[in-house]
Amino acid sequence: MTARSLFIPLTLLLVLAFLIGPFLIIVAASFSAGETLNFPPQGFSLRWILKVFTVESFRASFGMSLFLAIGGTAAALVLGIPASYALSRYKLPGAEIVRTVVSAPIIVPGIIVGLALLRYIVVPFQVGITAALFLAHTALVLPYAVRVVSASLDNLRSDIEEAAVLLGSSRLGAFFRVVMPNIRGGILSAFILGFVTSFNQVPVSLFLSGPGVRTLPIDMIAYMEIVFDPSVAALSSLLAFLSIGIVFAAERFLGFSRYV
Amino acid sequence: MSDAPYLSLEKLTLAYGDTVAVADLDLGIRKGELIALLGPSGCGKTTTMRAIAGLLPVKSGHVRLDGADITRVPANKRAVGLVFQSYALFPHLSVYENVAFGLKLKGMRGTELDAKVQAGIKSVGLSSFANRKPAELSGGQQQRVALARSMVMEPKVLLLDEPLSNLDARLRLEMRTELQRVQKETGVTMIFVTHDQAEALALADRIVVMKGGAIEQIGSPEDIYSRPVSSFVADFVGFENIFPLEQGRLKTSGGLIELPGQAPSAAGLAWRPRMVTLGSGPFRGTVRGTSFAGDSREYLLDTPFGPIKAEVEASQPAHALGADLSFDLPAEKAAPLARFA
Amino acid sequence: MFQNRAEALALALPAALFAAAVFLVPVVILLSDGFRGSDGGWTISAYTDFFSNSLNRTVFLRTLKLGALVTVASAVIGYAAAFAIVSLEPGMKGRMTGLVVLPLMISPVARTYAWIVILGRTGIVNEAFQFLGLTEAPLRVLFSETAIFIGLLQLFLPLMIISLISALENMPKDAIPAARVLGANWFQVFWKVVLPLTKEGLVIGGTLVFTGSLTAYITPAILGGSKVLMLETLLYQQVSVSNNFVSASVIAFILIVMSFAANILLKRVATARNKQRAAQ
Ligand SMILES: Nc1ncnc2c1ncn2[C@@H]1O[C@H](COP(=O)(O)OP(=O)(O)OP(=O)(O)O)[C@@H](O)[C@H]1O
Ligand SMILES: [Mg+2]
Repeated sequence: MTARSLFIPLTLLLVLAFLIGPFLIIVAASFSAGETLNFPPQGFSLRWILKVFTVESFRASFGMSLFLAIGGTAAALVLGIPASYALSRYKLPGAEIVRTVVSAPIIVPGIIVGLALLRYIVVPFQVGITAALFLAHTALVLPYAVRVVSASLDNLRSDIEEAAVLLGSSRLGAFFRVVMPNIRGGILSAFILGFVTSFNQVPVSLFLSGPGVRTLPIDMIAYMEIVFDPSVAALSSLLAFLSIGIVFAAERFLGFSRYV
Repeated sequence: MSDAPYLSLEKLTLAYGDTVAVADLDLGIRKGELIALLGPSGCGKTTTMRAIAGLLPVKSGHVRLDGADITRVPANKRAVGLVFQSYALFPHLSVYENVAFGLKLKGMRGTELDAKVQAGIKSVGLSSFANRKPAELSGGQQQRVALARSMVMEPKVLLLDEPLSNLDARLRLEMRTELQRVQKETGVTMIFVTHDQAEALALADRIVVMKGGAIEQIGSPEDIYSRPVSSFVADFVGFENIFPLEQGRLKTSGGLIELPGQAPSAAGLAWRPRMVTLGSGPFRGTVRGTSFAGDSREYLLDTPFGPIKAEVEASQPAHALGADLSFDLPAEKAAPLARFA
Repeated sequence: MFQNRAEALALALPAALFAAAVFLVPVVILLSDGFRGSDGGWTISAYTDFFSNSLNRTVFLRTLKLGALVTVASAVIGYAAAFAIVSLEPGMKGRMTGLVVLPLMISPVARTYAWIVILGRTGIVNEAFQFLGLTEAPLRVLFSETAIFIGLLQLFLPLMIISLISALENMPKDAIPAARVLGANWFQVFWKVVLPLTKEGLVIGGTLVFTGSLTAYITPAILGGSKVLMLETLLYQQVSVSNNFVSASVIAFILIVMSFAANILLKRVATARNKQRAAQ
């Protein structure tokens, strides 16, 4: 073997070990039979995997995260699809401003978004915790929604709407009859991207979470500061497989990566 | 065919924002006519079509169709069909569903719908493709679907924007005949846009030549081909030797030249290469270039008029580069131009 | 392109107004707070105060230092990895790229958490070192800059690798053989040919890694603990422990300025590249 032919497998091995190894260790650790988080795991059992489902706060925060990810992403799409449509199909006055404002939450660190929202919206207007988290997650997902939906709109010729109108459809009817069916893949991709982003999001929710109302990742951080058992590892593995599964399915059936 | 215009554009002015694309356009079209809109890129052909269809708001002027002022009628209520250059088929719908789209919106259902759609698809020869998606069809087939989709709506006017430009030469000829057949069978009033003068001459009852957002000439194919009103139209339909007249004399790059015979009273004269007499005549020129075109041969001559293009039967003896020839620009053959530039 | 402005505004305004109300206005107020004196006038005293505190300076410099180190390290490793991946045959290349991207889909909490298992007092590294007799007492790797560095690198390396993969794939195919034929050694090939031709990919990847590292919260929070702070964790402390909103506003401003600067650079490079493409 020459030095060069050794270089490629060796590099790949090391890099992948660094990138994926830790995740595999977590997976292994979640099947441990021992009391504390350790590697190599002591024995094999499903006790920590099963325990995850019995921890009350995990159940509550999982529900909250699910609600925020689904609701927030849906709300972001409800706002984002018309905006993307206006940006891609109309001569919109101030289009650049709209684009910047809508996509700005992606550039500003999440912790700042959360803090600003807390101080100047939540406190002065007495917004409830759940509502505040919902607003924040919607704003966070909005840039992704607009980006992905815009991309699929730009890939769709705009004359089919005109053709539909000339065949007797109203403008709105044309949107639902010929635009929506053709950007469905993009919308679903936006939904998945938004869902994963929102679900994994921590900094935005930090200041907005309150007593008893937490997102799952924040709950996990709080839990592992107190208890050092493998249940967080078990939960992490479960979540990871869930999101990998979703993204894999999306790639398989939608060609997800075309849009993202 | 009555003489009162079925579709008329009156002082039509169209603009994108502040830039006027079409100004004060007047045009009357009779029922059942097949009109070709001919002109260089950017002259406002598409703009005019879009305004007739209602896709572009009219800045000023009127569009009248079948006795009604439709200037402010929305596009989906006009009964005007438009076949797009890109076909604009709905990618998620089959051929059948594409054709059925507009009929369903009209509220047509059941066997009536099915019969109409099947007939429409059959009329363009695509019966065996009814269940295919547009992406699974060739360009020519997509074109037919687009045509069928518009035709089943029985529009009062059918507009076609460069319908054949995306097809290869053979298909283009085929579709040309197809268009003509559909038009003759249904008697639909048709306006089609083209860049191709041969296409316009072959198909149209009348040709409208546009330039810079205005109409330059309207006339039968014979009119346009043989009697262009201006140097612009002459140039567009293949007159290659075009000169202005000044006090009965030809104004050339080599000065004013008097033609033998009667001095015509026009703004200019134009000759097709075919109209130039080569080998005899009062003028002399040197062959600068030749090209062989199968049944004819073209020469580029250096002359006191400047460069002159002449075309002769290929059966005649060829002249070499540099040969000195006599030639004539016979005034009686020239097309007199009412306007120059 | 439809012309109707009212329709366009009706479609675009809800999203724009929402983002403005929920995000833009509060953030702008938050930032302006840092420039307000106690008398209500404009002042930069909060900034001079902030930087006169040595702990703050340390945190600021540490954030910059870690951001830079992670960026440089990811560039070095990224080139090696990207090279290795693009030299594979297509099917394998796709699979490897997939594996590199895979961690991006896993929750950062889970990814960071793994390092506790590895670097902790009873983690693999310590067990191994002690087993080999390299150390007597357990090493303190966790809650250190090293831990944060490792965590951030693992978090953001995939972004660099995919940027470089696409840059390397867009490189003219014959550039490297041509340089070799002209007598360049591998070092010269990299320095004189590969680097200039993949500069945009490097800048794009670098910007993503750098801004990501600056603004990461979870990694420094978990792997740095309450002692080894970065700007984001300092901001959190200032608010939740000290209730010092002015200082939080200052940190927020610094973070935003730095990530905006990086993003403007990114946009510049992207437009320059598009123009270049268009010109070809
Ligand atoms: N959406 C638009 N916005 C602004 N100006 C436009 C727009 N569409 C066309 N124009 C301008 O209007 C004029 C007429 O354009 P139009 O598309 O009608 O030309 P055309 O005759 O169809 O040309 P072609 O043969 O190239 O299709 C041109 O000067 C063009 O630049
Ligand atoms: Mg056109």
